[in-house]
Amino acid sequence: MGYLAGFPITLKKWFEGVTTKNYRAGKGGKSDVKAPKPDRLHGRHVLNRYEDGLEKCIGCELCAGVCPAKCIYVRGADNNPTDPTSPGERFGFVYEINYLRCIHCDLCVEACPTEAITESKLFEFSFEDRKSAIYTKNELLVDEDGKPQQLPWEDWREGEDKATSGWMRATAPSGDSNYVGKVAWSGELGYGVRQPESVELTIKPKSGDSK
Amino acid sequence: MTATESSAVKATTGVPFTLNGQELHAEEGELLIEACDKNGVHIPRFCYHKRMESVGMCRMCIVEVDTGRGPALQPSCMLTVTPEMKVETESEATKDAQDGVLELLLANHPLDCPVCDKGGECPLQDNAFAYGPGESRFVEEKRHFEKPIPISDLVKLDRERCILCDRCTRFASDVAGDSLIHFIDRGSSTQVNTFPDHPFASYYSGNTVQICPVGALTAAPYRFKARPWDLTGSPSTATVDSSGSRVLVQSSQDKVVRIQGVDSDAVNWGWLSDKERFIYEANVSEDRILQPMRRAVDGSLEPMRWNDALKQTSEALGKKAAAIGGARLTLEAQHVWQKVLADEFSVVSYDASLGDDVSADVVDSLPKATYDWAFNAGSVVVVVGQDLKEILPSIYLRLRGVVKDGSVELVEFNYKSGSLAKLARKSVQSRPGELAKDVKQAFTATPGERSSDLNCLVDTDKPLTVIFSRPNVAESADYLTEALQVIQSVRPDAHFLPAFRRGNTVGAQLAGLTPGVREVATEDEIIVEQVAVVGRPTAEILQEAANGEVETLLLLGADPISDFPDKALAEAALDAVNTVIAVDCFENPSVASANVILPVAMYGEVNGHFVNSEGRLSPLGARVTAPGLVRSDLEIAASLAKTAPQSNSDAQSSLETSHMLGSEPIAWDLLELSSEGARIKTPTKPIQRVKADVPTVADGLRLVIGNKLWDQGTIVENSRTLAGLCETFKVRINPADADRFGLTAGAEIVVKNAKATASVPFITDSSVAEGVLWAPANVRGFDPRSFVTFSESVCYVEVSAGEQK
Ligand code: SF4
Ligand code: SF4
Ligand code: SF4
Ligand code: FES
Repeated sequence: MGYLAGFPITLKKWFEGVTTKNYRAGKGGKSDVKAPKPDRLHGRHVLNRYEDGLEKCIGCELCAGVCPAKCIYVRGADNNPTDPTSPGERFGFVYEINYLRCIHCDLCVEACPTEAITESKLFEFSFEDRKSAIYTKNELLVDEDGKPQQLPWEDWREGEDKATSGWMRATAPSGDSNYVGKVAWSGELGYGVRQPESVELTIKPKSGDSK
Repeated sequence: MTATESSAVKATTGVPFTLNGQELHAEEGELLIEACDKNGVHIPRFCYHKRMESVGMCRMCIVEVDTGRGPALQPSCMLTVTPEMKVETESEATKDAQDGVLELLLANHPLDCPVCDKGGECPLQDNAFAYGPGESRFVEEKRHFEKPIPISDLVKLDRERCILCDRCTRFASDVAGDSLIHFIDRGSSTQVNTFPDHPFASYYSGNTVQICPVGALTAAPYRFKARPWDLTGSPSTATVDSSGSRVLVQSSQDKVVRIQGVDSDAVNWGWLSDKERFIYEANVSEDRILQPMRRAVDGSLEPMRWNDALKQTSEALGKKAAAIGGARLTLEAQHVWQKVLADEFSVVSYDASLGDDVSADVVDSLPKATYDWAFNAGSVVVVVGQDLKEILPSIYLRLRGVVKDGSVELVEFNYKSGSLAKLARKSVQSRPGELAKDVKQAFTATPGERSSDLNCLVDTDKPLTVIFSRPNVAESADYLTEALQVIQSVRPDAHFLPAFRRGNTVGAQLAGLTPGVREVATEDEIIVEQVAVVGRPTAEILQEAANGEVETLLLLGADPISDFPDKALAEAALDAVNTVIAVDCFENPSVASANVILPVAMYGEVNGHFVNSEGRLSPLGARVTAPGLVRSDLEIAASLAKTAPQSNSDAQSSLETSHMLGSEPIAWDLLELSSEGARIKTPTKPIQRVKADVPTVADGLRLVIGNKLWDQGTIVENSRTLAGLCETFKVRINPADADRFGLTAGAEIVVKNAKATASVPFITDSSVAEGVLWAPANVRGFDPRSFVTFSESVCYVEVSAGEQK
């Protein structure tokens, strides 16, 4: 008899409805509609350009140095003075992120001195081999209009790229007290210049901190 | 704290002073900053450098000092410790001063850290972080200069980043003696710069990059190649010459990207020549041979398998074979090659040096000096042969230092005055064939007939060291040997220091890879009273080969066509032999006639040991993996032993020994401990007497072929940045001779003798001895060896004015 004792539980659960959330649309949502994402969701990266089209990355390897998963590989090289890739002497000659290892912590974004590397909200991408899991400059760099490239194996929807650009460093650019407690953006090809935004600080800066 | 943990053993005698409330003692005349270092108190600094005189430029080292008149802020790098001095390095006033100095230094310093090579290992970053104000109050525009300007082929200068510490300029003028960079302008536009049209073309320019406390000076070969945090380093030894400079070989992503000098008290004091520093570029040259090659019938190279290559080599070595080269290998590889050649293949003709240097046998019998012994205050140094700057550049800096400050007296004997001629007590200009005579004259003349400057050579109890090198490949080497014998007989207490051009020549001697009579070490006793004749001089090997008596010639990284004094003989020899096997990494003129090329690992790719001129044993570190199918010399020799037709058990056991060599240097038993550290024991066998021919007297000038640091050596030629530094051929003639032969500056001259006639550019140079035509070896444009007849002990040429251009 004992082995039949489980059946009532099975039957009861049958009528209780599904608790598993639909991956995209939330509980009970339609399967081809994506659920809204939180503002600060960390998706796959992009490498940004300035409004004049020059690349922002200067190949400094700070992102690679800080990455806890050690998944970024950068090599710098001398800019050609007559046809520079980025402003200044040095540009990111090789840039690779291995998405099999990236934990989307965004420490690279925090470390970047030029806001070259930022994350989009896109996390609907998949790959079948290791090689395509390693995004190189070819994939990461925004296109000529400053928009992220939409790769065949990524699921981009209308308007989704808007939320892509520079998620912010919540700290003020050093030395400028106007931006304490605000998120500052620099001009970016494709998205223009955005006004600084206030952020809520749980710890208010002391007046002395912003000398 | 245990004894080992304590940073220094505190002195209990000397000058008493108080440091942050602690009663301590300093040495007489010691700088405060040094005394603090010794006692574990770090004072931030930029301009102070232990190997250079303090100038007090940066004021970073300011501390509060009370000498009895109340506390005052003073730079600790300019202050000697005086009795009862009270020093506060952590007081409010000191901190305030440090804060202020940094704020002002940063006022004009660009925010370049992310693109700056120094970022991550920068004293300015570190000090700003540890002692700086943390925030900038400057909103004004910073000072601007054109971003990096090349001040030489190897070094770029970014004046915006410069903090005017005077380290580079001080190094250039005080240490290197190449005052080519200076401060120019005044006030806020003060900058380091070169004179117009005079680049910082110094053999030592790379040192300024290493000592610059910011990223103002960057090295062209390293620029943007890596960031400091992705470098890993191995301690090693420079092998481009026999100085044995200690280095740190640094790599990133398994590529050698930088070599830094290591401050080794006994050897190079942290300084390197640019050749030692930048030599790694050839490792990644596109022309490097990465797999075994064989020459096809049409003369082109085609890849082959290692097994086939070794089999072919082993077969070829089984016939009548000879080997040349090997002075650049590790001591271990030299040892195993010698065993494999002699024991497995019964090859009796081998020579690691190429007949263009001092014979190993001569060196063997002389009592050796160390650098420390030679440069000790109160001694006398005699340089016989070439300018040390061209052959042992990093050691030249040490010699220059002690000669300049007057603590060591220098006498030179050469055909072209060396770079220290002006500082030397006496610079004796000799001529080919007369070196021994002139040396004898100087050492044996009665006090009345010799110049008083030469008194330091005899009638004195000052220690004497002779630094010698082959002065000229266009004359017989016997003149030098005889000169050394003269010195040894007049001053039996003299010590000798060979200046070999090739790195591990002393190692090759120890391993028995150079020809000569050798004491033989056996298993049970370290050195026995047993001697054996080993090897055969390159000249004899090549002569035999040219006569058709040699079937196989093995080139162990040797390029006799470019280096052997008699080029025609080298060519004839390579032509006449059946098989040439080259163990090399590039195609050079000699490798071009090789039938089989075995690609070999280069610097930074092999572990081993190196023995420098003094006989000092130091490690070589493998930092990166050898590329392609390349193997190390040790591996090649060991695998050849396996394929040898008759396997000899003695050789097998020596091969087994060689497998432990990573940890057990073979020369250990040959070492002794002297006050300057471990060095090779001086052999006890007597010097072989040589009596050189009396030179024939003929009209015309005597040809001298000397060396320049930058030549067309295989490795330099294959280094992207260094290849351009080799000069184009021109001869140098004393102005008096130019007048005598009616030669006008700017025109080419015709140089001829029985062997060759050539029209070559010339310049007058009063440092060249009268009656001498000085020509550089192995540079671009012309090969002066075409004038040399090897059997004649002195080579004469006639010069006449050429066509006016
Ligand atoms: S998000 Fe984090 S893990 Fe991913 S690349 Fe950036 S630093 Fe590395
Ligand atoms: S993305 Fe930013 S941090 Fe990374 S190398 Fe480029 S500039 Fe430097
Ligand atoms: S270039 Fe560097 S070493 Fe030279 S003065 Fe400037 S900061 Fe000092
Ligand atoms: S270190 Fe003393 S003044 Fe610069």
